[in-house]
Amino acid sequence: MSAETILVQAATAEAVTTSAVAKKPSRRPRRTKERPNVVRIVMLALLVPLMGGPAYILLVNAFKTQQDIQTQPFGIPFGRLTLEPLLAAITSPEYNVVASYGFTASIVIVVDIICIALAGPAAYVIARSTNRKTRLLMLYFLAGTFIPGAAMVIPAIYVLRTLGLVNSFAGLVLYDSATTLPVSIFLMVGYISTVPKDIDQAASIDGAGRLRTFWTIIFPLLRPAVVTILILNSIGLWNDFVSPQILLGPSSEQYTVTTAIYTGISQYTTDLTKVFPNLLLAIAPVIVFFIYMQRHIISGLTVGATKG
Amino acid sequence: MPDARSSRTRSGESAAARKRNRRLKDSAISLGMAGPAVLLYSVLMVVPVIVAIYLSFTDWDGFSEADFLGIQNYTHLFTDPNTTHSMWVTVLIVIFGSAFEIGLGLAYALALRQKSRTNSVFRALTYYPHVISALILGFLWNAILGTKGALNTLLAAFGVGPVGFLFEQNLALISLIAVIVWAGFGFNVVLFVAALQTVPLELIEAAEIDGASRWKINRHIVIPMIAPVVTVALILNLIGLLRAYDIVVSLTGGGPAGATSTYAYVILAQSFGSTKIGYANAQAVFLMIVSAALALLVTALRNRSDRAAGGDA
Repeated sequence: MSAETILVQAATAEAVTTSAVAKKPSRRPRRTKERPNVVRIVMLALLVPLMGGPAYILLVNAFKTQQDIQTQPFGIPFGRLTLEPLLAAITSPEYNVVASYGFTASIVIVVDIICIALAGPAAYVIARSTNRKTRLLMLYFLAGTFIPGAAMVIPAIYVLRTLGLVNSFAGLVLYDSATTLPVSIFLMVGYISTVPKDIDQAASIDGAGRLRTFWTIIFPLLRPAVVTILILNSIGLWNDFVSPQILLGPSSEQYTVTTAIYTGISQYTTDLTKVFPNLLLAIAPVIVFFIYMQRHIISGLTVGATKG
Repeated sequence: MPDARSSRTRSGESAAARKRNRRLKDSAISLGMAGPAVLLYSVLMVVPVIVAIYLSFTDWDGFSEADFLGIQNYTHLFTDPNTTHSMWVTVLIVIFGSAFEIGLGLAYALALRQKSRTNSVFRALTYYPHVISALILGFLWNAILGTKGALNTLLAAFGVGPVGFLFEQNLALISLIAVIVWAGFGFNVVLFVAALQTVPLELIEAAEIDGASRWKINRHIVIPMIAPVVTVALILNLIGLLRAYDIVVSLTGGGPAGATSTYAYVILAQSFGSTKIGYANAQAVFLMIVSAALALLVTALRNRSDRAAGGDA
């Protein structure tokens, strides 16, 4: 069994214990002589204010007046807490973060669909191919992981301009889909390789064509890999700033969560009653998703990283 | 491909011809299945790179005719003070950022490696920033570190400050690196915890019986065993830090006086907005070359660690 297959299987793990590198996860039983470790306690004690602090500040200050934010950023003045800034942010006529949820979600969903629809069959062909030329396709796609998005998104504009897709939803979605293909295909090829070829042959004897074999028989078996890909893509796309900033200029008048925050907050950095509620609204969906999908996210991140 | 069915010929058709036909049909289907992905990826990922390489050798300003310059743009990269300054800023971020991200990641992974409910809460506490957009984290920290931000309010209560975390050149760069590390080290924690689960318990127990201290066990047994993963994580961090852009936009806007303008920030926020499009493309291509060099390094190292992982019993 190659490390590649193990990596992909890590994505299926029900717990974080599954390793990204080794053959079998070893459970470590509780140590018999567990001394109280002072260093460890200090480290964990530091973690709470350093990691929890910013999150706490963001949460409580979204419900305070400007004066309360400035005079007591850590306090909770129960008598004066207000929903007004949050409601103002939700109903704001311009650069409205909540209004951009739908647009951002539609980018995520459309790109996810295009990515799976294109990457799946391509990965199947690559994984099942016996000739070396097709195998080289994998290297061709892998080369894409070397391309820094921040540097190449501008040259991509010239291509989109030629295609007449500049400043459009279609152009952004196609570009984003193209950027998700390398890693998605890589993960799928690794996973398909673990599916026995006898299954394909049985399907072919029963008269199924290759495309049908893939979608009806192989694809359902790839669920863990697909879940990993969807999670990695979705988080990445929701948080993406460079490509919507560059490919959807202000003239397009369409804002994703990140570009709405950027355009809005640059205008009023001093008005904290606008800053905090908007930031809270921007991360709320991600945090909900995070809590709900935590296990999958952890294993997905681990796999995505080691496959990077 | 060996076929399950017998290869007896039917009337009037030679086996060879049928085989050839089937192979042709097979490659046609393969082409049809892989084609869309290859096309989309080629048009929007590969072609832009080719275009960028071509433009990087010209003096194109975005409007008029482009003249061929040769490698002048590339030599200019190392003589243009604005670009070289951003390179130094980026090198500092890459070196210090990755050192702290790996160090803290390893320390906390060792502290949180045991399975328990408390530990998984603490792990989540370390890596939750990883799922939030870097742009938003930058704005949040900007509100915390500003002159009238939460931190300065806290310091004022102790009679200190105000400290210009984002307004003094050196402090701003330190703050930027600190925020990047804050947001990034938890990812390494998750990665290293997964790797630590694979260290055989027998080794640790044997060392304990021999009377080795916890520090010695970690230093001589545990860390060497997860070294391949640490190496891969290190290079991934390097590449990520090399491309720092979003967080710069929201935390400091590249300021004060360019003190936090990273290489990627200069490319996107300045060069492509100017009329020196040819030069901007040279900057972008150079970033790609450095990224690719590091990424190839990852692949080489990963192959080595794969062999190591495949080699143990």
